[in-house]
Amino acid sequence: MDFALSEEQKMFRAMFEDFSKKEIAPVAEALDHEETLPLTILEKAGRQGFLGATLPEEHLGADLDFVSYALLMEALGRDCMSVAVSLGTHVSLVAMSILRHGSEAQKEAYLGILAAGGDGGRDVRLGAFALTEPDAGSDTSRLQTRAGMDGEEYVIDGVKTWVANGEMTGLFLVFAEAPGGMTAFLIPADTDGVTVGYREPTLGLRNVPFNTVYLEGCCVPAANRLGEEGDGREIAEAAGERMAVTLGAAALGVVEDSLEVAAQFATERVQFGVPIAEKQAIQNLMAESTVDAEALRHLVYHGAWQVDRGGGLGSVGSVVKVFAARVAQQVTNRMVQVMGGYGYMEDYPLARKYRDARALGLIGGPTELHYVRIAERVFAGRDVAITP
Amino acid sequence: MDFTFSREAKALRRMVRAFVEKEVAPIAAEIDREHRVPLGVMRKLGKTGLLGVCFPQEYGGMGAGEVGYCILMEELGRVCTSTATNVGAHIGIGAMAIHVDGTEEQKLRYLAPLARGEQFAAFGLTESNAGSDAANISTRAVRDGDEWVVNGGKVYITNGGYADVVTLIAVTDPALGARGGVTAFIVESDWPGFEVAREEDKMGIRGTSTAELVFDDLRVPHENVLGKVGEGFVTFMKALDMGRLTLGAACLGGAQAALDWSVAWARTREQFGTQLAQKQSIQWMIADLATEVEALRSLVYRVAWMVDTGQPFTELAAMCKLYGSEVASRAVDMAVQIHGGLGYSRDYPIERAFRDARIAEIFEGTNEIQRIVIASRIFREHGVRISP
Amino acid sequence: MRILVILRRVLDPAGLVAHARLRRLFINREEYLIEPGDHAALEAALRIKDGGGAEVVVVSGQPEPDDDTLRRGLAMGADRAIYLSGAGFADADDGVAAEVLKATVERLGGADLVLVGMTRLDTGQAQLGPRLAGALGWPQIVGAWSVEIADGRIRAVRRDGDDYVIVETDLPAVVTVPAKALEPRYPDGARLINVYRGEGGMAEAVLQWDVADLMDPEGLVPLLEGRGRDFPPERERGVRVEGSIEEAAQAVAEALRGRRPG
Ligand SMILES: Cc1cc2nc3c(=O)[nH]c(=O)nc-3n(C[C@H](O)[C@H](O)[C@H](O)COP(=O)(O)OP(=O)(O)OC[C@H]3O[C@@H](n4cnc5c(N)ncnc54)[C@H](O)[C@@H]3O)c2cc1C
Ligand SMILES: Cc1cc2nc3c(=O)[nH]c(=O)nc-3n(C[C@H](O)[C@H](O)[C@H](O)COP(=O)(O)OP(=O)(O)OC[C@H]3O[C@@H](n4cnc5c(N)ncnc54)[C@H](O)[C@@H]3O)c2cc1C
Repeated sequence: MDFALSEEQKMFRAMFEDFSKKEIAPVAEALDHEETLPLTILEKAGRQGFLGATLPEEHLGADLDFVSYALLMEALGRDCMSVAVSLGTHVSLVAMSILRHGSEAQKEAYLGILAAGGDGGRDVRLGAFALTEPDAGSDTSRLQTRAGMDGEEYVIDGVKTWVANGEMTGLFLVFAEAPGGMTAFLIPADTDGVTVGYREPTLGLRNVPFNTVYLEGCCVPAANRLGEEGDGREIAEAAGERMAVTLGAAALGVVEDSLEVAAQFATERVQFGVPIAEKQAIQNLMAESTVDAEALRHLVYHGAWQVDRGGGLGSVGSVVKVFAARVAQQVTNRMVQVMGGYGYMEDYPLARKYRDARALGLIGGPTELHYVRIAERVFAGRDVAITP
Repeated sequence: MDFTFSREAKALRRMVRAFVEKEVAPIAAEIDREHRVPLGVMRKLGKTGLLGVCFPQEYGGMGAGEVGYCILMEELGRVCTSTATNVGAHIGIGAMAIHVDGTEEQKLRYLAPLARGEQFAAFGLTESNAGSDAANISTRAVRDGDEWVVNGGKVYITNGGYADVVTLIAVTDPALGARGGVTAFIVESDWPGFEVAREEDKMGIRGTSTAELVFDDLRVPHENVLGKVGEGFVTFMKALDMGRLTLGAACLGGAQAALDWSVAWARTREQFGTQLAQKQSIQWMIADLATEVEALRSLVYRVAWMVDTGQPFTELAAMCKLYGSEVASRAVDMAVQIHGGLGYSRDYPIERAFRDARIAEIFEGTNEIQRIVIASRIFREHGVRISP
Repeated sequence: MRILVILRRVLDPAGLVAHARLRRLFINREEYLIEPGDHAALEAALRIKDGGGAEVVVVSGQPEPDDDTLRRGLAMGADRAIYLSGAGFADADDGVAAEVLKATVERLGGADLVLVGMTRLDTGQAQLGPRLAGALGWPQIVGAWSVEIADGRIRAVRRDGDDYVIVETDLPAVVTVPAKALEPRYPDGARLINVYRGEGGMAEAVLQWDVADLMDPEGLVPLLEGRGRDFPPERERGVRVEGSIEEAAQAVAEALRGRRPG
C-alpha cells in the first residue's frame, strides 16, 4: 500500500491549481451571475490538454491517469463546480465511453476532435450525455427514445432532458431503445432532426447549460452505434462509475475551498472581542467538516486509483457518489453558517458553492438509487431480491 | 389542557389564507426573479388590518395577540418567505420595539400608521462590527439641547431601502456600553442625514430589501427616544424575543409547504412502475419530516400562548427560532431530493424555497446565538453564568 | 335605506373527494365558503352603504361547525346579522325559504332591497331570488353585475346575451347577483376579532330568531321530497397508449373511429 501521490502527480496538481486560480477563480462569481461558460476559458483549458485529459496521446490527449484527472477536477471544483461538471461530462461520460467501448474507426473519428475541442479555431465543443427522459429519471430501464433500423441506418426519435453541455455540444452520446435493447449512439449535433431546446434555469451550476434535446426522425449510420445493440446499459453504468469519481473529486474541491474561505473568515472576524475561530462552536463546525473532507479525499483517490486499475468499481462508485454528495452539501452548509450574514450574500463565494453542491445529490442518479445499488452488493450471494 | 384554536383564530387563519392565496402566491416567483419588494401587497395587507395583527386596537391594530401573529406568519411562510420576512421586519421587530417600550404619543404617532400599512418600519441593530455581538455597536448619539445627533451606520437592515420609520440603537454613553450606555431611537428616513448606502445581493429572500444605512449628523428630537435613555439594548432584546417566535412560525409554514409539495409529488411521480410513495426511502423522509413539523407546530403555538398569557418565554422563543429554522431547512432539502431534477430548477417553487429557507438559521441572531441564549438560561438556574 | 343580504354557506369543494367506485362523497376537510353569489351580493350591498349610507343586515339559517358565515359578513362590514333557527329551515327548499324570508322582512319592519346570489354553487339552483320576489310581490332584477341607487330607484347592469343592458326598477326590490359580478372585499381584521370576541359593539350583532316565532311552521311544506342519494354512472377508465408517436397517434385514431357510431 502506498498512499502518496507520485512526483508527477504532485507536479500536475500544482499546475492544475495554478490554472484554476489564474483563469477561473477571478471570473467564477461573474460567470455564475451571467450563467455562461465562455469559450475563451474552454479554449485555454483545451490548450492545456484538459479537454482530452485521460485520452492517449495518439488521440491528442494528455494521457493522464485517472488519479491525476481527479486532481484536475478537484482543482477546478475548488474555484468553480460548473466548469468541473462541464468538463467532467465531456471527458468522463463522453470521451472515455468512446475510448472504452468504441471501434477504432470511432476513436479515430471523434476522440481527436473531442480532445481538441472541435475542428480547430474558436470552435470549442464539449461532448454531451443524453440518458434522462421526462419519464426516465432514476429508472432508465424503460426509455421512450426509440432507435429503429431503416436499411443501413438507425432512425432515432425521442426527448432527452437535463442534457449537460446541451447547447454547446458537438456530439451527443444518446441512449435509446433499439430492437436488441438499450443502445448507445454517437450523434453529431448538426445531424438533421436534432434540436436543442429549453435550458433549465437551475439553483446552482449556473454556467452549465442543461437542455432538453429533441430527436425527431434523426438518422445515423449503423457505424455510429457505440458497441453492440443491447450494450447501452453497460456503457451507461461504466460511464456513471467514472462520473461518480469525477463528481466526487469536484466535490472534494468545493469542500476544501469552502473550508479555507471559512477558516480565513473565522480568523479575521472578531465578535465578543475575539476571532470567532476561538469559539468551540466554530471549531466544531470546522473540525467535523475536516473529518468529512479527509474521509472523502481518501475515498475519491481510492476510487480514481481503482478506475486506473481497470475493471468495474462495483458499489464503490455509488459509495463515492453518496458520500461526496452528503459531504459537499453538509460542509458548504456549515461554512455558510460560519460566515453568518456574509455567507448568505452572493458577493461572497459560499452562497454559490452551497447552491452548486446541492446538485450532487441528484446529478448522476439520486442518492436513494445509489443506496439500492449498494444494498445489492451487501446482499449479493444471499437469497434476497433487491430491486429499486 | 386544550390545544384547539379558538373560533377567532380559525377565522383569522381563513382570512389570511384567502388573502395569501390570492395576493401573495401569484407574485412569489416574480418578486424573487425581479428582486423586488412587493409594496402593493404590503399596503393591501395593511388595509385589511393584518399588519396590526398583534397590536392593540387603540393603535390601529387588530388585537389578535401572538397566536394571531403566528398564524399570519405561518400562512405567509407557506407561500412566500420574502413577504413573510418583509412583514416580520416591519411589525415583528421594527414596529415591535415601539409596541414594547414606546410612549402613548409615540404609539399614536408611529405605531398606528405602521399597523395600518401606511408606513413601513425597519429594525436597525446590526453593524459591520456588531453582528452576533450586538452590544459592540459603535453608532454614536450625542445630546445637543432638545435633540440627539446620530453618526454611524447599520448593515443588513431588512426593509432598510424603503422603510419610513427605523428604530435603531446607538451608543449614548461609551463608558457604560450596552449596560446603560445604549439608547433606542425612532428615526424617520426622510430626515436629513439618513442615507441608504447600498442594497445587498442575496442568495434568497430576494423579494426583500437588505440595506446598509449611513447616518451623518442625523438629528433626532428627544421625544423620539424609545424607552429610557441608556436602556435601548433591553428594549431591542425584548423586541427580538418576539421576532424570534414569529420567525419560527414562518419556518413552520415553509416546512409545511415543503412537506405538502413532497407528498403531492410522491403521489404523482412514477418510476420503476410505481408511485414514489410506495418506496420506503420516500416514506421515511416524509414520516420523519411530518413528525418534526408537528413538534414545531406544538412548540410555536404553545410559546405564542405563553406570550398571550403573560408568561416568561425568552429561551422558548430562541428554541422556536433554532428548531424552526433547522426543520425548515431540512424540509426544503428533502423536497428538492424528492422532486429530483425538478427540485433543482428555478421553474418550480422548491428551488426558491431552498434558497430562502437558509436565511432563517442566520438572521435575528444566528442559531449559535440562540443556543447561547438557551444554554445561559438553563445554566443560570443552576447558578452558572456563561458568557458568549 | 335597509338592505337585506342572504348568506348561505356551501361546503368548500376543495375539501371534497368523490369516490365513483364506492359511490360516495368523502368530506376530507369540512370547511364552508359563503355561497359565492351571496358573497358578491354582500359586496354590492356594502358598496351602496359606502356610497350613500345604508343599514346592511345579513341573514342565514344553516348551522355549521364554527357558526361563522354571518360573522364573516359582519367582519366585512354588515351592521347586523340574523340567524334563523328552528324547524326545517336549514334544509328547506327554495319555496319554503322564500316564505320564511318574507316573514323575516316583515319582522324587521320592512326592507328597501334584498340581495341574494343568483345561482347556487352546489346545486345549480337559481330560484330563491325569484321566489322571494314573488312572495313579497316586489319587482326583481335577475343577474345584476352592478347595482346602484339613483333617485330612489334601483339601477343595475345585467347581461343579455353578449350585451350588457342597464335596467331600472322601483324600490323595494329583489336583486340576484352572479358569483363573478363583484370581487368581495377582505374582512376588516379588527372587526373580525371583535365579532368573535363580542367586543367593540359587536356583542349584540348576531340575533337569533326562531322560525316558529315568525310564522306557523305548519305552512312550511316543501314542494319536493328527498328520496336518498345517487351517483352519476361510472365513466369508463382511459387507456394508456404506448409506443412511438406514430403508433400512439394511430391507436388514438382507431379508438376514436371505433367509438363513432356508424
Ligand atoms: C444538475 C443536473 C444535471 C444533470 N445532468 C444530466 C446529464 O448530463 N445527462 C443526463 O442524462 N441526465 C442528467 N441529469 C438527470 C439526473 O440524472 C436525474 O435528474 C436523476 O437521475 C433523477 O431523476 P429525476 O429527476 O427524474 O428524479 P426521479 O427519478 O423522479 O426521482 C425523484 C426522487 O425519488 C427517488 N426515487 C426514485 N426511484 C426510487 C426508488 N426505486 N426507491 C427509492 N427512491 C426512489 C429519487 O431518489 C428521488 O429522490 C441531471 C440532473 C441534474 C439535477
Ligand atoms: C438577509 C439578512 C437580513 C437581516 N436583517 C436584519 C435587520 O433587519 N436588522 C438587523 O439589525 N440585522 C439584520 N441582519 C443581521 C443579522 O442579524 C446578522 O447577520 C446576524 O446576527 C449575524 O451577524 P453577522 O452576520 O455579523 O455574523 P457574525 O456575528 O460575524 O457570526 C459569524 C459566525 O460566528 C458565529 N458566532 C459569533 N459569535 C459566536 C459565539 N460567541 N459563539 C459561537 N459562535 C459565534 C455565528 O453564529 C456565525 O456562525 C440581517 C442579516 C441578513 C443576512
